[in-house]
Amino acid sequence: MTAFVVIDHVDQVFPLPNGQSYIALKNINLEIRKGEFVSLLGHSGCGKSTLLNIIAGLAQPAAGGVLLEGRQVTKPGPDRMVVFQNYSLLPWLTVRQNIALAVDEVMKHLPAQERRDIVEQHIDMVKLRQAADKTPGKLSGGMKQRVSIARALAIRPKLLLLDEPFGALDALTRSGLQDQLIQIAQEHHLTCIMVTHDVDEALLLSDRIVMLTNGPESYIGQIIDVPFERPRERMAVVNHPNYYALRSEIVYFLNQQKKAKQRKVKQAAIARNGLEKINLEIGFVPLTDCAPLVVAKEMGFFQKHGLEEVTLSREPSWKAIAEGVTSKRLDAAQMVAGMPLALTLGMGGKVPTPVVTGVVLSRNGNAITLSKRLYDEGVRNLADLKGALAAAPDRVHTMATVHPASMHNLILRYWLASADIDPDQDMHLTVIPPPQMVATLKAGNIDGFCAGEPWNTHAIKENIGFVIAHDLDLWIGHPEKVLGVREDWANQYPQTHLALVKALLEACEYCDDRRNRPQIAELLAKPEYVGAELEYIRAGFLDPYDRGDGKPPEQLLRFNQFHIDITNCPSRAEGLWILTQLARWGITPFPRNWIEILDRVRRMDVYGEAARQLDFPDLEPNREPFALFDGTVFDPDDPIGYLNSLRIKREIRIEEIDIDHPAIVVAA
Amino acid sequence: MATNISTRPRSNPYAPNWGSKIIKALTNFVPTLVAIVVFLLIWQLLCSGPNATLPGPIQVLQDTWDPLIIDPFFQGDGTDQGLFWQLAASLKRVAIGYFLAAIVGIALGILVGVSTIMFRALDPIFQVLRTIPPLAWLPISLAAMRDAQPAAIFVIFITAIWPIIINTGVGVQNIPQDYNNVAKVLQLSKPKYFVKVLLPATVPYIFTGLKIAIGLSWLAIVAAEMLTGGVGIGFFIWDAYNSGAISEVILAILYVGLVGLLLDKLITFIGKLVLPED
Repeated sequence: MTAFVVIDHVDQVFPLPNGQSYIALKNINLEIRKGEFVSLLGHSGCGKSTLLNIIAGLAQPAAGGVLLEGRQVTKPGPDRMVVFQNYSLLPWLTVRQNIALAVDEVMKHLPAQERRDIVEQHIDMVKLRQAADKTPGKLSGGMKQRVSIARALAIRPKLLLLDEPFGALDALTRSGLQDQLIQIAQEHHLTCIMVTHDVDEALLLSDRIVMLTNGPESYIGQIIDVPFERPRERMAVVNHPNYYALRSEIVYFLNQQKKAKQRKVKQAAIARNGLEKINLEIGFVPLTDCAPLVVAKEMGFFQKHGLEEVTLSREPSWKAIAEGVTSKRLDAAQMVAGMPLALTLGMGGKVPTPVVTGVVLSRNGNAITLSKRLYDEGVRNLADLKGALAAAPDRVHTMATVHPASMHNLILRYWLASADIDPDQDMHLTVIPPPQMVATLKAGNIDGFCAGEPWNTHAIKENIGFVIAHDLDLWIGHPEKVLGVREDWANQYPQTHLALVKALLEACEYCDDRRNRPQIAELLAKPEYVGAELEYIRAGFLDPYDRGDGKPPEQLLRFNQFHIDITNCPSRAEGLWILTQLARWGITPFPRNWIEILDRVRRMDVYGEAARQLDFPDLEPNREPFALFDGTVFDPDDPIGYLNSLRIKREIRIEEIDIDHPAIVVAA
Repeated sequence: MATNISTRPRSNPYAPNWGSKIIKALTNFVPTLVAIVVFLLIWQLLCSGPNATLPGPIQVLQDTWDPLIIDPFFQGDGTDQGLFWQLAASLKRVAIGYFLAAIVGIALGILVGVSTIMFRALDPIFQVLRTIPPLAWLPISLAAMRDAQPAAIFVIFITAIWPIIINTGVGVQNIPQDYNNVAKVLQLSKPKYFVKVLLPATVPYIFTGLKIAIGLSWLAIVAAEMLTGGVGIGFFIWDAYNSGAISEVILAILYVGLVGLLLDKLITFIGKLVLPED
């Protein structure tokens, strides 16, 4: 029994005047620990206040129930005091009388003097001594809300419920009261549930942010853990390296909800040209190596293969891509190489969603950028970095990658570990969407990152970082981006999937012809695609690559590799290496049934069929052990032996993973 | 700095001086005064012809100056009393009837407001009864009471009670949900809820009802007294009419109007004392 508040499968239904009913909430399930601060966030009308009223006991749910310390909530009570949005002070009583009314009623058992002391103490706590004998009509909005908070806190509720407490206040008053609430909540170890629509307020105050989808039938769309340490302070929160990543994730969710409201009816599949569906929505992240998708669209390869209505959807982060594909919002997406495997295995405690890939879209193209500060400290190579880390043991060095299952994360960790730097113990690794890397590095919130172009070049041109290593130093020709679709989608639209793979194969071939690259670079620079300076996109892609370390730029012919040397084959051995690394760092368990998993996720059959139809050679790389820059040999016949031989690793879980019958995931 | 303080003018430059106060009072008062004068002039003109059936204002003043105006406290036999006593007798009846109506009306209003069942049961009855003109009650009440005095008071009571009940009921039903939520969350006891939340929240509505009711009862008393007789301004008017003393009728009507205005102001004043400012 760890949960303090349990919201157990709550539904709320309101009858409509026309005899039908409106389902406001559907299957809301949430557990809240003692001392936790949880925010309910969503657009207006999403039922967040309805949910709060149910927790308060002011409304009864149509189904399900709420437990507080194991007891069902059936009616309102002072153990769940509410701070209402419109203050709800009694206008005929003074500030003192308003608070005293609550204290006298709830704490009847205490002697009168003690009750008076409590009232006075709380008047002081919210700094309203001067206004104690005034009626609410003579107070400003902020003061009224302070009275309301004082009244709520004075009766020592087990659970404090706040319904958009600062919604009606001006910005200055609001931030002052937020600071006060943080302090009070921390001092009294309050368990709080707050309804808000203010993203920054939620980030500042909460331990967890529960985001509700639009009504009708609102459900919990996503829960975000806010990792900022407590005690919290406004500036420290805003400067936290994850702040903007979290913020953009929330804003993204809210925007998705807004879009969903506008879209309402999802476009049905249009079948034509012998394909099951020719209207596709394909997600991409603004990076130089989204080129195959842009080329397929702009140069007519989609059209050529019958996919007449393809929309490319620019997504802010890889997490958004994963969400888009699993939630069926996107038909397909450009994915980081490890994502289909990680989603299939149920990364991060999520329900496994089988996602398959039939084609690798690009290889290489990444670099590890460190801050100029480290350069000035003399860091030129990995050994120097280790020295710099050892020299400043008190400083937490933070590096960012773009997604836990991305090659950036896996290779950066591999690279660090090869020099005996434990990426979790000696450093702090965090996830930030690629387009935000430069701003975060500039703000000094991270010390470096591993990401694709043009973001490394951007940092170099801004003179805030330098490239310490790029893919050609680490693993020439590693798989980087793949096409990902849900397995059920691939089974439902097999011909469409094949056409899509064929169009992309041709687009990849087009991308690797250097004569086409100036034109492609200009396409990519457009705001609807990457939207970066042409010069940044050309670096490495076409022009010599400047590492920003004072050495002359060098021409890297294989920096962005789209077709040559069997680029597009989703070979299983590489997939297996990814599985070992995901397990090495505790991102997913290692599947004992890895052969089955790889067979289902890396669709060599689709790739082979597409290649044969296009008269491309249907080749798979030789199945033999390979090594990265450090020479450690990976033998695809003995992944577990390989895992065991690694020195720096997390605790490795080896499990039989049944994709079709996932074990029921119990939320911790 | 000291020089600054000593040279600063003592009086507050923002406080209005006496001159401007008087001007302000005059600007408020003069239009009213002019309107009254114009009204009196028209009246005088209309009633100065040889065929005029009603006396003009000067005539009224001449007829009633002695003894009615200068000696309102005259006490004679029976109904032969000064105007003050006539008004006082009427006011006493109104006071009793109105007071009873207020007590019963507020109680019934709260009952109807709090309980949906009571509302459904009683509201249709109230809606029918409240449309009955006050004088229509008089025969029944005379038949029941067999005495003019309580019958008149009953008419006042029955006239005044409806707006009080209805406004109080609406007031209780319209207590802001926020206040009720606070009471529910705090689990306020019934008596405490009544005193601290229900009553204060309903007071503005109650006073609206009381204000309408005082006007209605003053209307009703004059009519009722005309029929029941005895000392009272209503019977005085009827009596003066029967004696052909139209000037006395007009003077009495003027007094009725002024007293009605004062009663209205009195309730507003009490309301202001009781109501919260917000």
